[in-house]
Amino acid sequence: MKKILKWVVSVILVLAVCGFVAFLYLIPPLTSVAPDEFIKQMASSAPAVDGIADPAERLIAERGRYLVLTADCAGCHTTQGPQGPRSEMFLAGGLTFATNTHGTPVSRNLTPDRETGLGGRSDQEIKMVLRSGMFHTGRSISPRAMPWPGFSIWTDEDLHAVITYLRHIKSVRHAIPDPGPGRADAIVPNATEVVSTVDAGK
Amino acid sequence: MPPCPSGARWFVACALVAVVATGAIGLTRTPPSKPATDISSLYDANCANCHGKDGRGDGVAAGLLNPAPRDFSRGVYKFRSTASGSLPSDDDLVRVISAGLPGTSMPSWKVRLTSAQIGALASYIKTFSPRFANERPAPVKMAPAVAASADSINKGRKVYSDLACGACHGDIGSTSGATAPELKDDWGRDIKPADLTQPWTFRGGATATDIYTRMKAGIDGTPMPSFADAAKDADLWNLANYVGSLGRKPTWKMTADELNAQYARERKEAAANPAGRGRYLAATLGCAHCHSPVDADGRELPGLIFAGGQKFRMAVWGNIVTPNLTSDNETGIGRYSDDDLKRAITRGIKHDETRMLPFPMGWPAFASLSDPDLNALVAYLRTIPPVTNAIPAPERLNIAAYLAAKFKMLILGRDYPLVIFAGNAGSAGNGGGRAPAAGR
Repeated sequence: MKKILKWVVSVILVLAVCGFVAFLYLIPPLTSVAPDEFIKQMASSAPAVDGIADPAERLIAERGRYLVLTADCAGCHTTQGPQGPRSEMFLAGGLTFATNTHGTPVSRNLTPDRETGLGGRSDQEIKMVLRSGMFHTGRSISPRAMPWPGFSIWTDEDLHAVITYLRHIKSVRHAIPDPGPGRADAIVPNATEVVSTVDAGK
Repeated sequence: MPPCPSGARWFVACALVAVVATGAIGLTRTPPSKPATDISSLYDANCANCHGKDGRGDGVAAGLLNPAPRDFSRGVYKFRSTASGSLPSDDDLVRVISAGLPGTSMPSWKVRLTSAQIGALASYIKTFSPRFANERPAPVKMAPAVAASADSINKGRKVYSDLACGACHGDIGSTSGATAPELKDDWGRDIKPADLTQPWTFRGGATATDIYTRMKAGIDGTPMPSFADAAKDADLWNLANYVGSLGRKPTWKMTADELNAQYARERKEAAANPAGRGRYLAATLGCAHCHSPVDADGRELPGLIFAGGQKFRMAVWGNIVTPNLTSDNETGIGRYSDDDLKRAITRGIKHDETRMLPFPMGWPAFASLSDPDLNALVAYLRTIPPVTNAIPAPERLNIAAYLAAKFKMLILGRDYPLVIFAGNAGSAGNGGGRAPAAGR
């Protein structure tokens, strides 16, 4: 009797381990989700501009929405959770980018929140980051961590449209820490950049 | 050291005197070396990111900038008040540093640095070129201004046509559409003539005096010559007044009707020159940010911009190397149809029907590109000169490593960062050849 019980327990254990391994193995990879799901999620996370009363501003913000969406600002600036980007935290920041030249910056909160986002920043200050990779504090950002040399090509009118749109997205309170020290190649040899998606904001 | 009377008060006073005296001695003794180190660290902190530590215009951010940052080692400067071929004056350098160059990545530094610091930086960048030790700037002779009357503007229109300004700047003073020819600067990089309808982008300023100075001095290192010998001073003033009259309203001052008209005009211009529009899109979407190999500091390897080869370690998904976007028939996109490319860009489906992850390739975002923009982007990619750089296939993790990685990531909830490696993982080695410039 005792022997049978032992056998049963062993079989159950083996089955459990096999099941767990199979479960791990089979957790669907992202590529089994239809492309449209990702596309829909991306497009719907960027709020529409219909609510803007001034027609000229609405037109400019619409252009800005197109630029922000297609330039994939959300790829680095939308806060990530265990299930990927959190739509309700659109452009609220928090991803960490270790570089070899500029320490370990954290993607900023681009929402209009006054204390933790862009609410307190002038158009000129935002433009300076996009054009020259420089913050109002005098700190500069690695062109690896933030592809600002690409955004520097935006015309002044497109930059203005981007900033106009950012002024109209949903405000999220999400404090982003200052960049940390350290180098990417100290984390992984020969790395030029190490990106962590775990939310570093509060 | 002066003798000290007794008492704490005196001690403090003496100590103060001593400190001040030491400071003064320090000041009189060190100027030749001390400010130099201060200025070089000021330069390193603020300028080297783009202009490079040695002033060669090769900082970590330089690779994709257009216009490219100045290479100070040549001593050739664009925005001067001096004769063509001559060195800039100190005031010219100070002006560019303080006011910045509108429409470029060169910001205005007067908000951040004192005028003493700006002056010191102007002197410092001169040390990168031996020209400044051997030559003197030759200021252009400024003739008295002609007021911007209707008569002067009319005369200027004729000068514009007589001097064939339209050959580069367009017939109506616009560079938009296909009217702008292919132009290169002395470094072999593609550059665009100024769009005369957008005075807020004039690098050297948009007043009549600024424009007049530009035509007298030329823009050295570029196809924009000096017209000092080609036209009379009064005519150059008339021309400056005419150019000053071409400016349109910027979109941020337009009414809704004006904006609709402007956007319709832009769509028409883009349709007339899809590769030009595509070039702007490729640059601003940052295609080359991932589709070029970089060194450890993040500097694009020369000759391999758009040639792919940047290697990513994608946690449980193994390693991928970014594809070669140049038009090469063997290793680049020359092999793929337009539909293949569009499907890859907007749906993350590769030519062999395999799927991409939704990152780092931003196809879920690029799916929102309008049809004309997507067509323009593909049209531009077709024009990128071929670079042979064969890209290895993605490497999957072996089953044990895959399970271990998944366990750590999903069960232990461990952070599994994405890693980007330095160097070219393609077949071309680490560089060679000339890089195509980013496009505005």
